Amino acid sequence: MFKRLILLGAVSGVLAGIAAIVYQKVYTSSTGADFSSIAKPVNIIVVCTLANILASLGYALLLKWLPRAAEIVFNFVFVILTFASILGPFAAKLPLTIEAPELFPGLTVPMHFFPVLAWFTLKPLFIKK
Amino acid sequence: MQILNLQKTNLTNMKKLIFSIATLLAFTAVFAFTFVQSWQITDKYNIQFSSNDVGGIFKTFKGSIVFDEANPAASKFDVTIDVASINTGNGLQNKHAKSDEWFDAAKYPEIKYTSKKIVKTGAGYQVTGDLQMHGVTKEVSFPFVFKKTGAGATFNGSFAINRSDFHIGKPGGEVAEQIKIDVAVPVTKG
Repeated sequence: MFKRLILLGAVSGVLAGIAAIVYQKVYTSSTGADFSSIAKPVNIIVVCTLANILASLGYALLLKWLPRAAEIVFNFVFVILTFASILGPFAAKLPLTIEAPELFPGLTVPMHFFPVLAWFTLKPLFIKK
Repeated sequence: MQILNLQKTNLTNMKKLIFSIATLLAFTAVFAFTFVQSWQITDKYNIQFSSNDVGGIFKTFKGSIVFDEANPAASKFDVTIDVASINTGNGLQNKHAKSDEWFDAAKYPEIKYTSKKIVKTGAGYQVTGDLQMHGVTKEVSFPFVFKKTGAGATFNGSFAINRSDFHIGKPGGEVAEQIKIDVAVPVTKG
């Protein structure tokens, strides 16, 4: 179970990262705002993967401590943390050489939801009741 | 009689010569006074502001610079900054800075500086002029240095202004009253 959870975290994280990079390409080509020097593809993949592995670890711990309520508690915590994380892009202070910092949240806020979406989407494939 | 005529001719010639020299001197003086090098601002300028809490740049800066190291009294700066070009590095802060609480970019789209006097100082020069910002005009003096680099040159200067003097933002609050301005303007001969 634990190994499958870690695998879920890693796979969903990498897929979320790939989706985020694809979204970044689409965003850059449609708005002309290039933030690739700040949101680097490698960093996106690494952060998404670490976030989802961490989520899997948290889920494993909750299953151990609160077997009955683990599912609901984990879902709430993961989603609330995801929503809270979107404050980061709004508060970020970019280098002054970046032309349009106004467009930065438009790129990064949706990206923050990719890991949680990927984790929940792939969970039934890895964890069967 | 002949001698008298010769003396008259000499006197007339002398007068003509003196008049010619005087005209030449006057013309040279006027020319020397009016011919002061004008400079074109390149796009590598940097207009930066900073305080304890906020900092940023203005991306659009234009105007005319007429400056002669040997004749600073005849030099003149007439420059403007586009307020809407402010960049603090944060989109929300940019929007806030342009709002009526701060610069009110819609009502006062430009910051204007017109020099009135430029004098040589020990280390460089001192310019005194009118700074027009947020509908308020105040006399501001600041030191600057002029450094020639090949075919061009760079003006560098720093000074501080009190934002409350220009009614920018509410007095007090998190943003300091004193805002430091750093100006670096590379120019080429115009």
